[in-house]
Amino acid sequence: MNMLNCFNPAFMFLFQETDGSRLGLMKHAALNPDLSKFLVIGALLFIIGVAGVLTRRNIIVIFMSIELILNAANLNFVAFSGYLQASGHVNALAGQLFAVFVIVVAAAEAAIGLGIVIALYRNKETIWVDEIDLLKW
Amino acid sequence: MTLSGYEALFFWIFALAAIFAGLLTVMARNAVHSALFLISSLVSVAALFVLSGAEFIAGVQILVYVGGVMVLFLFVIMLVNVGAEERGRDEIFNNQRQVTASLIFCFLLVGGVLYAVSTGYAGLEKRYPKAEALVGDQTAPTQQTGPQNATGTSHMTKDTERIGGSLYRYASLPFEIASILLLVAIIGSVMLARTLKQEASADDVDPEVLLEEVARDLELAKLEPQSE
Repeated sequence: MNMLNCFNPAFMFLFQETDGSRLGLMKHAALNPDLSKFLVIGALLFIIGVAGVLTRRNIIVIFMSIELILNAANLNFVAFSGYLQASGHVNALAGQLFAVFVIVVAAAEAAIGLGIVIALYRNKETIWVDEIDLLKW
Repeated sequence: MTLSGYEALFFWIFALAAIFAGLLTVMARNAVHSALFLISSLVSVAALFVLSGAEFIAGVQILVYVGGVMVLFLFVIMLVNVGAEERGRDEIFNNQRQVTASLIFCFLLVGGVLYAVSTGYAGLEKRYPKAEALVGDQTAPTQQTGPQNATGTSHMTKDTERIGGSLYRYASLPFEIASILLLVAIIGSVMLARTLKQEASADDVDPEVLLEEVARDLELAKLEPQSE
């Protein structure tokens, strides 16, 4: 239990059993998603993306994993923006603005990255990252 | 910002869909399947955006990611189609040692990130106790909605209007920088994706390289007098 205490607020929904639902659809109010659940989902998506970048050999799938990582960051921005809106914060939309710019950067990155992939495929005839080792000594 | 009722149900459905589609993106053998799973993950995350009150971002996500970036990905996958991985001849992951090391790293990262999320969340609750008072309150005072729609069942959101306003009020310089970034990306990707023939006809190749290539490929020789 002492171990679990360090995860206190974000994971209390596993232990709490209070009733506060409006429609009675979800019996446990603790299952109602708030900011911490959004953050946990974003963290899991981020880690799935990191695992994809580190383990896959296909360079296009690695790019897709990078998109997954950027999307997880966007989820965090938007969730914080919603949280601050609900708490009546003045500059609550900043998170959504950041999300727009992250999407712009992701689109530019995808265009350039895929251009590089095509140029690479013309020269090396491969898309496996472990065969692209010109800079490796 | 606590969701309840049907919103909570939809949150869990779309959250699980996003995570499973993300996992399948990383695990799928065929790159086209990966792209399709990534599309479903992005659509699920767009639904999560709607649930947290960012309708405009959700629309942009569908339009830009699913409509633009993923179509580009599918084009490139089909352009460089190797086919070996689909028939199961080739290993799709790195070698065993690298995969083990990176999975250990990822588990450490899971622990670290979840610990950071929970401690940060505790600090946030301490800093904005007002948000806790609004738990379960769907009609928060700052939740601005527009006029009712024709059937009178729901309100139109003012999210897009407010984002537009604050985009030009607080972030007009980054907005212009983003437009320049996109222009550079367009030009850069066009330049990167040219073939040697296109480069030669634009007289954009090192002459020594061109001579070597002409010796190898006679079709290029026809272009050479043009460029000189």
